[in-house]
Amino acid sequence: MSEKIYACLLRLYPANFRQAHGDDALQLFRDRLRDETGFLRRTRLWFDIFVDLAISLRHLYTTSQAALAEAFVPHCAGVPRFFVLQEEPLRPGALFPGCVLSLAALSLLSVLLNQADTLHSPTSHATASQFRPVNRQTSAATKPDVDSAEQVVLDDAAPGETATFARLFPTPTNFSAAHADTRSSAHQAYSNATADDSAAAIRVFTQTSSATTASTSVVGSALDPERQRVFDAVIANLKQHYFDPAVARQMADALVARQRRGDDAPATQGKDFAALLTTQMRDVSQDMHLEVVYNPKPSPQSSPEEFARMLAAPQADNCSLKKVQILAHNIGYLKLDAFLDPALCGSAATAAMASLNRTDALIFDLRDNRGGTAEMVSLISSYLFDHPEYMFDPRRVPTPQSWTSSPVPGSKLANKAVFILTSSTTISAAEQFTYDLKMLKRATIVGETTAGGAHAGVWHRIDDHYGMAIPQSRAVNPYSKSDWEATGVQPDIKVPAATALRTALRQAQSQLPTR
Amino acid sequence: MAKQKLNPLPSAAFHIFLSLAGEDLHGYAIMREVAARTGGRMRLGPRALYSSIQSLLEAKLIEERDSHQDSSLNHERRRYYRLTSAGRKVARSEAGRLADLLRVARAKKILRGEYV
Repeated sequence: MSEKIYACLLRLYPANFRQAHGDDALQLFRDRLRDETGFLRRTRLWFDIFVDLAISLRHLYTTSQAALAEAFVPHCAGVPRFFVLQEEPLRPGALFPGCVLSLAALSLLSVLLNQADTLHSPTSHATASQFRPVNRQTSAATKPDVDSAEQVVLDDAAPGETATFARLFPTPTNFSAAHADTRSSAHQAYSNATADDSAAAIRVFTQTSSATTASTSVVGSALDPERQRVFDAVIANLKQHYFDPAVARQMADALVARQRRGDDAPATQGKDFAALLTTQMRDVSQDMHLEVVYNPKPSPQSSPEEFARMLAAPQADNCSLKKVQILAHNIGYLKLDAFLDPALCGSAATAAMASLNRTDALIFDLRDNRGGTAEMVSLISSYLFDHPEYMFDPRRVPTPQSWTSSPVPGSKLANKAVFILTSSTTISAAEQFTYDLKMLKRATIVGETTAGGAHAGVWHRIDDHYGMAIPQSRAVNPYSKSDWEATGVQPDIKVPAATALRTALRQAQSQLPTR
Repeated sequence: MAKQKLNPLPSAAFHIFLSLAGEDLHGYAIMREVAARTGGRMRLGPRALYSSIQSLLEAKLIEERDSHQDSSLNHERRRYYRLTSAGRKVARSEAGRLADLLRVARAKKILRGEYV
């Protein structure tokens, strides 16, 4: 026992000492243990050991530097070698200048990095292009990615809202079918969006999921071939796309087991079958964003012509930039009804922000905003900061586009007061914009609690009638455990949506510097 | 480096020289002899002992003898050390230096005549 304790204590000595004399020291201890019996002598032995250890450690660690300096380093061609220039250990007095120098070097590096970003911006172009945030997006993100078009992010999918997904079927006319199932007022309002709902329209271009061809044959299935095909596709999609592979496997096993037991037999209708599969998946995963959707109206795949028409739709609608005005007291006002893809609407958003650049305060009216892309949220937020800020989006793990491209060259908005108007139908990406700017203490939120649609699955088309939503990633919230899912974003000043603009204007005027 | 550490010669190193002057010893035997010689006042701990031995080995003042099994101690393998001629010279010069100091101390009536 004593020997084991001493062996542990030996580990406190530096490696070079243990290597050279570890065995000898242990042997010495064994010898003393054998020879020095009796309480007093044993006590003296341990006293010696601890005193030796205490005195030794400091001495040995300081001299280990010297040992390092003397260490023989065999030279191999082409292999870098390190030499110890200073044989003495570091003096405590040298620590302070060392820290100062390191901090200075780090600061210099960050300044240089910032400069590099600025240099890459198109400064040689006209004023409007100087005002554009430095684009950090990859080439894939700047144009619609047709290959991955079947993966459609459902921005505002809320638990249990079957109808939320229905709008994503390929033709806007399907909204009427979706409408019948809508249960929450927030999503009702969203589904009421007509054919100009470009945010959704861009995304409805779907391709047959590769998973539809996958098969998971189930022996003894009581299902007809059509439903069996859907069943197989659901399982294949789960295994391929769900963010937690272990849970995906558990769900797939449970679905197969239940089918074998004949639990699926009563579900004869497509809608019932979709609901049954949804329930079975949620029973295992407790993930309310997993959903199989059945649309009674067939939705054939979009043709390239239709897709082109949908792509043109946002521009025709001025990219949902409904109003860009400078109100009394030089207060900028931007009514934005959707955060559309910067690849299509980046220049329109940039022009809008440029026209508001000289205002003294800024009001974003998101009361009718139906969501959109996190990339546009980052683009617009870029004008509001003088350094890059992380724009948390619960649907995505962080990417370079999750940070704002601040500072935007030429922007005078980074230190101006910002107000955001919200209503009970403000949802999804609009809530992300509101939530992030609130958490970053960059904006005052005026209006109503927002709709509460934070999570979403990625849409996978199975066939003309069936599709499913699968959450594919989760981001860690830097501010709190939960986000705004189901609860919405609370305003700082709670007033009815109808009077929010008036209240925000009053607040903005009171905060303006007196001239 | 070792030369720097041995100038002036630490008392632990001098005691090791004295122990090895008579016969070749292993670490524990050196420790025991030093303790016996000083009446238990100096008990070299593992660090003090083996660091000193390491320095003396590096300075070639002592050397390691071919290890052999000690029949009296359960056939454990031990490292035995012996004094080199350089080590003996250093020990002699250190003893001379101490003798000179003692003479001075006696002349200054710090020590009585019965010593040295």
